[in-house]
Amino acid sequence: MASLFGRRDKDRAFAAAERRRSAEHESFLSHRSFRWAKASALLALFALATYLLIDVEPRHNGGSWYGYTLGTAGLGLIVWLAWLGIRKRRPTPGSWSLKGWTSAHVWLGLSLVVIGTLHTGFQLGWNVHTLAWALMMLVIATGIYGITVYAVLPAKLSENRREMTREQMVESLATIDRQLEAAAQPLERSDADAVIAALEQDVFTAGVLARLRGADRRDATRRALESISTERAYNHDETDAAQQKVRALLGRRASQIDQIRRQMRTKAMLEIWLYIHVPLTIALLTALTAHVISVFYYW
Amino acid sequence: MTFLIRTVDHTATGREIVRDREVAGDTLTIGRATTNDVVLADLAVEQHHATVELVERGRVRATSTSDHRFAHDGRSTAETQFDPAGGGELLFGTYALAFSRDDEGRVLVTVTRSERDFGNRDAVRGFDLASAMPGKRVMAWAALAAILVAFLAVPVWSHLTREDKRAGADGPDQVALDGSWSTGKLSEAHHALEQNCEACHVEPFVAVRDEACLTCHEDIGDHAAADRLLAGREPMGTGEALLWAVADTFGKEGPAACTTCHTEHEGAGRMQPTAQAFCSDCHNGMDTRLSDTRLGNAHDFGTDHPQLQAMIHQTAGSDELTRVVIDGKARESSGLRFPHDKHLSRTNGVARMAGNLSRYGEALQCSDCHRPTDDRNGFLPVVMEEDCESCHSLAYDKVGNTVRTLRHGDVAQMQADLIALDRAPRQPVVTARRRPGEFQRGGRYFQDFGRPTQNYIGISRALGKDGVCGECHVPATVDGQRGVMPVFQRSSYFTKGRFDHEAHEQETCTTCHAADTSKSAQDLLLPSLATCRDCHQGESATQADVPSSCAMCHSYHPPDFRRKEDDLPAQPAGKVARLSRKGTSE
Repeated sequence: MASLFGRRDKDRAFAAAERRRSAEHESFLSHRSFRWAKASALLALFALATYLLIDVEPRHNGGSWYGYTLGTAGLGLIVWLAWLGIRKRRPTPGSWSLKGWTSAHVWLGLSLVVIGTLHTGFQLGWNVHTLAWALMMLVIATGIYGITVYAVLPAKLSENRREMTREQMVESLATIDRQLEAAAQPLERSDADAVIAALEQDVFTAGVLARLRGADRRDATRRALESISTERAYNHDETDAAQQKVRALLGRRASQIDQIRRQMRTKAMLEIWLYIHVPLTIALLTALTAHVISVFYYW
Repeated sequence: MTFLIRTVDHTATGREIVRDREVAGDTLTIGRATTNDVVLADLAVEQHHATVELVERGRVRATSTSDHRFAHDGRSTAETQFDPAGGGELLFGTYALAFSRDDEGRVLVTVTRSERDFGNRDAVRGFDLASAMPGKRVMAWAALAAILVAFLAVPVWSHLTREDKRAGADGPDQVALDGSWSTGKLSEAHHALEQNCEACHVEPFVAVRDEACLTCHEDIGDHAAADRLLAGREPMGTGEALLWAVADTFGKEGPAACTTCHTEHEGAGRMQPTAQAFCSDCHNGMDTRLSDTRLGNAHDFGTDHPQLQAMIHQTAGSDELTRVVIDGKARESSGLRFPHDKHLSRTNGVARMAGNLSRYGEALQCSDCHRPTDDRNGFLPVVMEEDCESCHSLAYDKVGNTVRTLRHGDVAQMQADLIALDRAPRQPVVTARRRPGEFQRGGRYFQDFGRPTQNYIGISRALGKDGVCGECHVPATVDGQRGVMPVFQRSSYFTKGRFDHEAHEQETCTTCHAADTSKSAQDLLLPSLATCRDCHQGESATQADVPSSCAMCHSYHPPDFRRKEDDLPAQPAGKVARLSRKGTSE
């Protein structure tokens, strides 16, 4: 009886664990208690150990039998890792769930640093072979960056949102602009020009570098604010209500733009790695093709 | 206090209708119900949605009175406070309530209805980096095209369409951009081919062939006949056989190909010496596979190597060479008598004499008599006139201040010179009378007509055991004439290995050559294998002073053999090439 209870208890514990797993979020990194992390570490250690133990004459390089073995393994891994780009479009559950696949992608990708580098035998130069290695390392480096920012930045993103959606941020800016246009009607020419410049400024036309620079920058809005404030800040004129209102609205516009820019900066930092990771992966696959063909062409 | 409510409506034709009305009191109610101060006819607005009240310092506070929130300057909120003088807009559904202060200090609320589209997706897209970056596909295709063209299409095309398709083509580089295919710098010897890949990589997808190597290295000799090479090889293990099977599938030439031992693209510098394993593949226990070989087994210098053998003259006066094992018992006969120990002593008469001569030091050293070759690899034969004569003088007469010396190396000349020596005392022809004037002894016309008995005695003495010749030469009768044994000196003893003295310059001569204790010129002063092993051990003996692979002393390719076709008669078994630059004159 005891054993019967024991089994039943075990089943119950397993079911509970299953429930917990499906209920709680589990990072793809720790998927199945780091199954792929362990596999990847084993793979890398195995490669390293065999590299040190196997005596290749005259020295290790990509052209020895061991080098070709590592190269073939590396090539297979790279092609499989790149397959994620296609696989991710078909989310499926189960052992080969997309999450498991992503977990394997990340961890096995890391082991490629060891396998790929040992394949070179540390013989690097200015050639298509080293180009393939360098592209591989860059792809992995951007991947590591991607994992890191995905872990760190989303919190920053929601912190900056302060319960506003992106639509609301845009709407807020539009609202301020509407008021600003109306409020600026009584202003004289030079002030009106400054306000027009501020209104014409489109925060979204920023390029990559501008996005990455982020908030608190001198722009048309801040210049308009400065030119209206600096001359009249200590000259408090109760009757000049229009000017006061414009000043207040410009201040609000500047802080709204800052929020949008912070949002754009964080988003840019979150997204930029994929703009390198993906095209570089294609470049890597091409360089690999050239690498393999050239080796056999000049066999 | 009053609120000034200004509603802006539009007629069907788009004309604006502006209505102003005042609301007295400190509170403004907003909602869809007609009882509100500001009625907003939008189903998204609650019946009693919010109130706006005046608070201290002219500020207003908007508070939601329903479960629904409203937006203040675009931000969703349930309660907010602001100064209308600084502007502010409250949004209820499609209605916008813009706050400001009019000239009379009243709070002016302008109510407008707009056809706003809340799903302003286009603007939201601006947050994404995609709006500031070229597409991933564009970048990927660009990179793909650039790499394919530069690193594949151009080299392949120019390789296929090049003019001179022969191996070893030494013209200008015919294949563009194939430098990017090089896996590493070539060795120094092949540096000239660095840009000329097609010289070796002749056919696409065909491994570098021996023929390509042999277009330049045409004098390379065969190590042995192909059938003996095959027979001598150790049977392959499973792993090695598998590797060669794979290599064969990929079109490699096989274990006997040049590229098996000589790998290129390993970086500039000297080509790496071939590993010991390539030699021991055959020479380890080879006598079991090639039963007629005269070569000893060898697979590691430290543990398995035959005793060293030297080519020497064993019979005095004969130029015949005999190969002997260097075991301390072997004797050579050069035809000379020369005790090394006497010459290297620091205390005896030799040392005293050396000390008195300006060209020597306190005592003689090896280098006083043995002069290295120009390449410092070996030593020149000892030359009497330069290396011995400053002590072993051949002077026999003096005329004025000039010393007359015998000619070395020519016994007949020596004899003629000594016979012609007219100053040796002779028996006078007549005894009773002295000659007159200048004809007397010592005079200008004196002539001695006596028998040159003393001269013959001098010759005999010179050729005697301790005479001026016999001191160093073994006296002998050659063709019935008295003379000395012909001298045969060896300056190189090894035929199958190479020894480089320059590489051993940090050692003293006597470390290997026991000259300081050698009493006889017949001593073969070559070190045995054991002496070499004091420093040299096998390739993998990391504890040794000098881990040494086979290639340190031996070469696979006999430089004097032409490469023979496989069907020609086999080379004499047991020929291993010598690396010596001096050729094979011995």
